[in-house]
Amino acid sequence: MSVRRRRLRRSPATAPDPDVRWQAVELRAEWSSHALRAEPAGRPATEDAITALYALLDEPPPTFVWVDSPAAAVRVLPPSARRPAFEPPWPLESRLATMVMELRQRLDRRGRSDFLHTGVHEVLRRVVRESVAGAVRSQLAAPLGVMWYGQHDADWVAYHDIRHRLGLALHHARDAGQLALWATIARSCGWWWPRQDVCVITERPTAVVTEPVPGSEHGELRLHNESGPAVTYPDGWAVHSWHGTRVPRWVIDGPTAELIGAERNVEVRRCAVERIGWEAYVDQAGLTLLAQAPDPGNPGSELQLYDLPSRRPEPRARLLLAVNGSTERDGTRRRYGLRVPPWFDDPVDAAGWSYGLTGVQYARLQRRT
Amino acid sequence: MNLAELLTRTDLDVLDHLERQTTIPVVDGLQAQGDLLVIPLDMLNTVHPHYWADWRPVPAGGVELVRGVAGNNPHTLVADPGACHWTPDVRDPVNLGIALITNTATAYLVHPEHGANGLAPGRWLVRRQQERGIGAWGNLLIAD
Repeated sequence: MSVRRRRLRRSPATAPDPDVRWQAVELRAEWSSHALRAEPAGRPATEDAITALYALLDEPPPTFVWVDSPAAAVRVLPPSARRPAFEPPWPLESRLATMVMELRQRLDRRGRSDFLHTGVHEVLRRVVRESVAGAVRSQLAAPLGVMWYGQHDADWVAYHDIRHRLGLALHHARDAGQLALWATIARSCGWWWPRQDVCVITERPTAVVTEPVPGSEHGELRLHNESGPAVTYPDGWAVHSWHGTRVPRWVIDGPTAELIGAERNVEVRRCAVERIGWEAYVDQAGLTLLAQAPDPGNPGSELQLYDLPSRRPEPRARLLLAVNGSTERDGTRRRYGLRVPPWFDDPVDAAGWSYGLTGVQYARLQRRT
Repeated sequence: MNLAELLTRTDLDVLDHLERQTTIPVVDGLQAQGDLLVIPLDMLNTVHPHYWADWRPVPAGGVELVRGVAGNNPHTLVADPGACHWTPDVRDPVNLGIALITNTATAYLVHPEHGANGLAPGRWLVRRQQERGIGAWGNLLIAD
C-alpha cells in the first residue's frame, strides 16, 4: 500500500469540512491565549488539579510552594530535586511522567487528525514550546529535572482537547477526566515541579510581547520586543528577544559596537547590529571602507562599500551604504545598508547587483527618488 | 505636469513635505524609486513577458505595483486612460522583475515617501531590489 493511501486510511479527517476547520482555528486561538497569558495564576484551580493528579498516583496532596519565576523555582528546589532518577524506586515525578506518557499513548491510539496535528499541535509547539518556553529555558541554563510547563504545555493538551471538543475522537471517560486535569493546569499556571510531599509552582509572566512571524501559514507568533523584555515574570526576572532570537539584555537596552565586537555568538551579534541599525553600526564600529563612488542618478550622494567583519560560519558579505534619493520630513536623507556578495570591489557594481544589473548598466541611472 | 496636478487627478497622496509645484521629470531611461528600478526593456535581452501574459489597462485610479510591508507605502502606476498597459507576468532570470509596462503617453509612478517619477512612452521592466541574506537565507528582497 502506498504511503498516501495508508495516510488516508489512518485519518478520515484529512479534509474536514470548512466549519470544522473554522472551529478548530477559533479553539486554537483560545488555547494560544491561555499559553501566552500574562496574568496571575489561578491558584485554587491549579492546586485542585494537581491534587487530583497526585490522587491518581495514590499520593496525598502536596504542600504547594508558589514562586514568582522559573529562576526562583530553581533557587528553591535543591539540586537533588533537579536530577532525574534512572532506577527504582521511582520518585513521584517519574511515576507522574509515566502516567501522562501512557495517557498520551492511549489518546493517540484513538486515531489521529492530521489537519489538527499540523494546524494545532505543531503550530503551538513552535510558538509556545519552542519560541516562548525554549527562550525561558535557555535563559535559565540550569538542570531542571522532571517538570511540566503549565501554560506552555498547551500544544499537546490543546490538540487532544480540540479533537475531543470537535467530536473527532471519543476518549475513554477516565482518560477524558485526566486530560481535563492537564487542561486545567495549562489554563491556570506557569511551570511546575511535582515532588514527594511538595509541589513548586511558578506564577505566570506579567508580560509576554510577541510579533507575527512573517510569511507564516498559520499566523504564528514569536517573541520580540525592541524596547524591553519580551517575557517578564512578577519578580522582575526577564527574557529579551529580538525577532524570535533570545538575546542578552544589553542587545535591547544598550547595544554598542564595542559590545558587538566582543560578542562571540553570531546570532546575538546580528541582532545587536540590527538593533542599532547598520548606519550607526558603521559609524561606531569603524568598518573598513573599501571604495566609494558617486551614486548614479542621485547627485551629491556617494555609494560606499565596506568590508563586514567575518561572522563565520555565515557566508562572507560586504556592506553597501547608500543614501535615499528623497528627503525625509526633517530634511535629512536616510542612509541604509545593503548586504551584498563579497566579490564586489566596486560600489556601483554592487548597487547594480541589487537590481540584477551590471555596474555599467546601473551607471546609466538618470534619476533616483 | 507637477506633483500637485498629478495628485489631484489620481486621488493619491504623498507626504506633505515633498515639493509639489516643480514639474515631475519625465525620464526616457533608467530610473529608481526607492527599492524599485524602472529599466528600459531593450536594455536587457533576457527578460520577456510570459507567452500567457495578461496585459491589463492601467485603470483611472492607478494600480499598485508593490505595497510596503507596513501596508501604507505602495508604489502606484498611473496614466491617462488607454495610454498604458501592464502585466505582472514577467519571465526574469534573476526573479526580481515584478511588472512590464508599455505606454504610449507619459505614465507616472507615485509613492508616498518618494514622490513621483515620469516614464516616457516606451516598454519598461520594473524590478525590486535584493540584498544578500544572512545564514541560509540566500538573497532577500528589500522592503521599504
